Amino acid sequence: MAPENSGQIASEPLLAAWIKWTMDFWDTMAQMGPGLAGAGRTGGQASRETAVSGDPWLAALNLWQAFFSLLTEPGTVAAVFQGIQAPSKIILRMAQAGWGGYSHLHQQWLEGWQGDGSPSGEDGYENLDQDIFKTCNEIFEADFRRLLNLPHLCLTGLPQDRVNRATEKFKQFQAAMAEFIYLLYLPVKKSLRAMNGVGGLGRQENPPEDFKEYYKGWLKILEGHYMTLFQSAEYIRTLTHTLHALEDFTTAKQELLSEAMAAVGLPTRREMDDLYREIYLLKKSVKVMARKLDRREPSREEG
Amino acid sequence: MDRRKIPVDLILAKLAAEAEAAKHRLERARDIFHGPLATDIGTTPYEPVYQADRVRLKYYRPDAARLKIPLLLVHGLFNRETLLDLQPGRSVVHNLLKEGVEVYLIEWGSPTRRDQFLTLDDHINGYMDDMVEFIRRRHGVPQVNLLGVCLGGTFAVIYAALHPEKIRNLITTATPTHFNTPKGLLHIWMQEIDVDRLVNAFGNLPGSLVNAAFLLLNPPRLLLDKYLGFLENMDDKDFVENFIRMEKWIFDSPDVPGETVRQVIKDLYQDNLLVQGKMRLGGRRVDLRRVTMPLLNIYGQFDHLVPPEACEVLAEKVGSRDTENVCLDTGHVGIYVSSRFQKETIPKIAAWLLAREG
Repeated sequence: MAPENSGQIASEPLLAAWIKWTMDFWDTMAQMGPGLAGAGRTGGQASRETAVSGDPWLAALNLWQAFFSLLTEPGTVAAVFQGIQAPSKIILRMAQAGWGGYSHLHQQWLEGWQGDGSPSGEDGYENLDQDIFKTCNEIFEADFRRLLNLPHLCLTGLPQDRVNRATEKFKQFQAAMAEFIYLLYLPVKKSLRAMNGVGGLGRQENPPEDFKEYYKGWLKILEGHYMTLFQSAEYIRTLTHTLHALEDFTTAKQELLSEAMAAVGLPTRREMDDLYREIYLLKKSVKVMARKLDRREPSREEG
Repeated sequence: MDRRKIPVDLILAKLAAEAEAAKHRLERARDIFHGPLATDIGTTPYEPVYQADRVRLKYYRPDAARLKIPLLLVHGLFNRETLLDLQPGRSVVHNLLKEGVEVYLIEWGSPTRRDQFLTLDDHINGYMDDMVEFIRRRHGVPQVNLLGVCLGGTFAVIYAALHPEKIRNLITTATPTHFNTPKGLLHIWMQEIDVDRLVNAFGNLPGSLVNAAFLLLNPPRLLLDKYLGFLENMDDKDFVENFIRMEKWIFDSPDVPGETVRQVIKDLYQDNLLVQGKMRLGGRRVDLRRVTMPLLNIYGQFDHLVPPEACEVLAEKVGSRDTENVCLDTGHVGIYVSSRFQKETIPKIAAWLLAREG
């Protein structure tokens, strides 16, 4: 047993360093998360407090951190390196931590559904908490985008640039679309909350017996929320942003396809468009001339 | 908290009864779906009498013509003209024929990328004018009657202002002319659209985008309630056939030529030039005071696409002294497919035209 023990002891600092690095990484991620509520405080404490206030992003990180916190405890590390002496203990404790985190997430989801953790107002759609989309974009901009923008050399440089550009624009379109769909989902959430809230159909003195009455009432509330949303500045901003992202992606995709078409000797879209424009202008000129001739015909007959 | 008791047993009993009824409905629906369904649209017989590029002119002949002057129907570019001939019992075209009106209907066709450079001028002073000329020659009449539908009505108003000598009477239905109104969602959204980016990216405005925009005007009704209604009535063959016809029409939006879209959004929706008398087309100013022929302006009180505020000012802006606003108790599509429009308004249109034949 002695040789095995010496090997385990040598591994401990390495594992501890790796765990610490991982925890630091997730701590940084947590601070980048929506609301930055934990900024300026120690990661674990801050994220735990914020998660209680109803932030799913941080809750997910907490779950991850809880797992690693457990691993960093001296007892756990020792247990790991005791080989298979106490596997059931470890698994049980890890399962407890994991289950606790999952329950916490589930509870938050329910709270969000009931409206307690809602970041936005009851009726309005201004100042919505959509930081999750911003955070995703920031991560993309800071890390992945740099990779896509690396200069490419030699013969394959240009096609690679086109592929990277199309990929980047596609990603940006997806992000914009996700934000747009989230916005479209909000009225559903608000209407369900209104149905459940004080004065909702379910809380009336004589609640309707017919399910259709509930449905009709809900539909009316839902329509009202959509009308409010559709006239809000936030919706118009998101709609415009999504359209722009779609336009940029379409253009980038076309440039990529044009490259491929040119490579196999097919006319590109731009070339075809130039041709269409020439045909259009020619037809227009012919039409004008034909009209002039039509007007001159009677006088010729008279003459 | 004093919470009232919800009669759960009653609700469950009703749900059980509903489930039983749904089962029988499904069985009957299965027979309907497996059998022949008449879901064609645009079935009233016509004769294609004129064609230029993708654009066609359809001629519908009545059994007995009561009016001497034919009526040209102009639909918008964003949807198909088949809305006017959607189903046998409820067809604007068919009912106009029954009133003894000779009907011409413009079919704008399906623009492709080669049509992207066609402007508003090409549509109004080009195709429309050519077709009016064709009808005048064919019937030997100096003027024709013009009926515009939705944005096709805006085309008709512009045409009537530029060529008043060729139009006897003008009828507009759900026609926007005053675009700067916060009442319609489309009018609000269009203010922020960067149409140059849109057209430069797509060439033509894709029909799928148009469809999506229309659905977003009222998602609860158009994406949910409508289909629940269908599920509740899918054992009714007539209902199913009419529903499918309407679906065919709704989701068959053609692409729209890019340059035309650019001009419609900039000049009309964003700058509201038409109603101010500042719009220019083919080098000429579009002056609504030149619309001196009788005007019948029909619109829907609950139209969420083209609200009454966008329609009603036309009567004040035109030069004609014979104008009438008719606000119907319906929405946008209801103007063309509702029973009331078919039974009451179409005979009124025919009578109005007959009284102004001269």
